[in-house]
Amino acid sequence: MASAKGIEAANTIRVSDMEKMSVDQLRVLKEQSDIEVNLLQDSLNKIRTAATRLEIASTALHDLSLHPQGKKMLVPLTASLYVPGILDDAKKVLVDVGTGYFIEKTMAEGKDYCERKINLLKSNFEELVEMTSKKKSVADDLGLILHAKLRQSSPSS
Amino acid sequence: MAAAPALRELQRDIETQASALSKVQKDIAKNHQVRKQYTIQLGENELVLKELDILSEGANVYKLIGPVLLKQDLAEARANVRKRIEYISAELKRLDGTLKDLEGKQNSKQEAVLKVQQRIQALQTGKSKS
Repeated sequence: MASAKGIEAANTIRVSDMEKMSVDQLRVLKEQSDIEVNLLQDSLNKIRTAATRLEIASTALHDLSLHPQGKKMLVPLTASLYVPGILDDAKKVLVDVGTGYFIEKTMAEGKDYCERKINLLKSNFEELVEMTSKKKSVADDLGLILHAKLRQSSPSS
Repeated sequence: MAAAPALRELQRDIETQASALSKVQKDIAKNHQVRKQYTIQLGENELVLKELDILSEGANVYKLIGPVLLKQDLAEARANVRKRIEYISAELKRLDGTLKDLEGKQNSKQEAVLKVQQRIQALQTGKSKS
């Protein structure tokens, strides 16, 4: 909340200061803003990819739980090498929680883990979308005022 | 005539100051890089700790060490992750202090460069007048 207000304040300060700044300063600021916007959009894409992968994992889990023990399957050893095998125990799954730790969970807990992670990513995504749109509006404002100043200075020179 | 060697000296001065400034700036950039890495690791470890904490006591935890998956005691795993979090937080704080130092040095170097520049300009305008 405080940081959002800070961003609002920074935005309003910029609009009034922008009029006073020289073309060069505006250009530098606009470049910085553009770089920031690109970075944020990059992060947005990464989060979207991660969320999609988690959803695929969740679907795969669900699929796995539907099949009985002893069912024949193909196990991937590499990206192009599969080996025939038998489904052993689909009631327990090993979940990679990060930094090299794996936790044994039941199928339901595994699905729950995926859900939780997906929700976490979704909320991060929304926060980022908000920030990105704010930064983009600042960058757009900078661009408009820069163009206006350039037009002002060129007929006079 | 007397101004020319003084000018050269000032130019050498500004070169040394400028290279010192760029070195400080490189150090600051490296600091940011290392801080970013540590922050990411800290976030990951905190997630792991959250997962470990909500586990019931009987659950099995395994750690991947190289190509080997080893069974770990839940309490031990929690303690390890907590220790790692403490270590990373301490490192981050230390880096924060170093960063402040470096930023102070950067500012003073920038001022020094500016002063030498002003002296060079004054000298050059003095020479052109005479």
